[in-house]
Amino acid sequence: MPPILEFTNVHYAYPNCPSSLNGVNFSIEKGAKVALVGPNGAGKTTLLLMCNGILRPENGEIRLSGSPLRYDSSSLRKTRKNVGLVFQNSDSQLFAPTVYQDVAFGPVNLGMDREKIPHMVDENLHAVGLEGYDKRPPHQLSGGEKKRASIAGVLVMEPDVLIFDEPTSSLDPAGAADLMELLDDLNAQGKTIIISTHDVELAYNWADNIILMNKGVVIHQGAPDQVFNDPALITTTNLRTPALLEIYTELVARNMLENTGSPRSVLSLVNTLEQKFRQNPPVKKQGAITVCNVDIIPTEKIRAWIAENPDHRRGAMGTRAKKLAEQETITLDFTYGVIDKCLLRALIGESSLILTTTGMVDRVQRRVLAFEEESRIRVAVSLMGDGTP
Amino acid sequence: MERCETTREQIMELILDEYAQKNALIDVSSSIKLITGIGAILVCISSTSPVAPLFIAASMAFITIMFARIPARLYLSLLMIPVSFALFSSLIILLMSGGGVPLFSADIAGVPLSITTDSANLALMVITRTFGGMCSLYFIALTTPIIEVFAVMQQCRLPRGLLDLSMLIYHFIFILIGEAITIHTAQVLRHGYDSFRNSLHSFAMLSAMLFIRAWQQGEELIVAMDSRCYDGQLELTITGRRTGPRIVTAVFLYLGICIWIAYASAATRIF
Repeated sequence: MPPILEFTNVHYAYPNCPSSLNGVNFSIEKGAKVALVGPNGAGKTTLLLMCNGILRPENGEIRLSGSPLRYDSSSLRKTRKNVGLVFQNSDSQLFAPTVYQDVAFGPVNLGMDREKIPHMVDENLHAVGLEGYDKRPPHQLSGGEKKRASIAGVLVMEPDVLIFDEPTSSLDPAGAADLMELLDDLNAQGKTIIISTHDVELAYNWADNIILMNKGVVIHQGAPDQVFNDPALITTTNLRTPALLEIYTELVARNMLENTGSPRSVLSLVNTLEQKFRQNPPVKKQGAITVCNVDIIPTEKIRAWIAENPDHRRGAMGTRAKKLAEQETITLDFTYGVIDKCLLRALIGESSLILTTTGMVDRVQRRVLAFEEESRIRVAVSLMGDGTP
Repeated sequence: MERCETTREQIMELILDEYAQKNALIDVSSSIKLITGIGAILVCISSTSPVAPLFIAASMAFITIMFARIPARLYLSLLMIPVSFALFSSLIILLMSGGGVPLFSADIAGVPLSITTDSANLALMVITRTFGGMCSLYFIALTTPIIEVFAVMQQCRLPRGLLDLSMLIYHFIFILIGEAITIHTAQVLRHGYDSFRNSLHSFAMLSAMLFIRAWQQGEELIVAMDSRCYDGQLELTITGRRTGPRIVTAVFLYLGICIWIAYASAATRIF
């Protein structure tokens, strides 16, 4: 299958300005999570605006699913439907008087079936966790809500590729973690996701492919540990080594650990250290993880379960789960990086409960399996309401 | 509700639309509210005596404060803005226009000034009409969110272009106010308004900057709309609220009373 997006020797200069892209080459596979990283003025935004045909390269070729981008208006419409772009500044993206009208903007202009549009809007507001916001004017929303509303407006056109320009730059840490969770969720549904960012921790931890740009060219494309382990690349692009990787490199340099591949998460670093330094076999028995789908389990049942198991740690994934926890005044121990934190707890014998929503139940299972593959430690996961306590 | 910026919060205090969205008459159909308000304004300006406008001012204020539950303090402070204008202009009318029997005359520094019955009646007319008209206008502004006004405009078959334009303008008002406040704060923090000279200079800079920002926002808007396959259409949701016969009857009864008062008091003069 051809790559979903491919740039070959793309050049571009804004009128009366020195050129901002000087021969960009890269390709992105379908379903990838890509981070476009580079210093200010590297040409990231220019490059993103080319992906959906807003800017037209002077030289070179852009291919979408194997076929070159064409710039007549009907092809452009097709391209823009398939490649959704979420701007850095939500204010310029949300221009309609209400959230509903804004989300409906794309479908109406694409001439989709009028009858179906209200349903599509509802569905997408639900997907980004903004149910009941349809009549609100965008200027009344908070930064995180605006970002979500603009994502809904793009998602509703059912694009295959989603592009985010600096998605977390105006959000608070919890809001940013929430948003990245949403992106993971969308990725799990098969969408290819490209973000541009300065946040090395985010890029290292989240992406599975990194495109490093500087001065209008792509200087490297590869897996995160490859990119961030190369000091020359880091210094030429004004970046910083992620803290996790720095700790690991220093531990390896002191012969405290063998270099078995850079850890991607706190969980995997802690686990490597634990395996190495814990002399006596692991203490008591491991903790387990219970997953609760708040979409199908009635709240009374959740309350009862929590009352029965007060010693369980509690985490929530996804906006609806967090909202429910707030409404029901369930105190949460974890609100971001929930699965990893629960696994960390499980390793020291504490059990936990994860409140989540339909789309994300599988993710817990997948993450736990991936951890098992990595560390050969099996943590028991059960689904609440599956006959298990 | 959380808000991200303090500047935004400050603006919201000043925006009547915020109150309109929370008023107690939000569930009444917006067309009937518009009919009430516009009808009352028409009666106000066609009435030849001050009686009907006074009645309308009192009843509209009553409806807005008691039924729509708009805080009386806010309402009074809003009303002070146009009323102070009206008072000043009536003062001029009182002294400048003539006709009828003189009520009062004086010579101030050799300039003869006199108030006549006609000028007093005219001045009173201006004040009461302003009062009545503003109360009706505030009734609309404080009970009907602008979005619903758009929907009614669409039902009235106003041209699409006009509608789309007004919706975009509505959105960008907030963005421009936000920009203006941000720039103004930045200027104040750097002593931009410390002296008269400084403030002239700063204000000129603010205006020029605002123009450039508005232009940039426009460019960004085009990119944003193109990215989402703009084809000349904005969606409008018609919130189809049905109005019960009781409300319709009440509104037409009210307007009927207003017209009757205007008709019956057509020849009434205070002076």
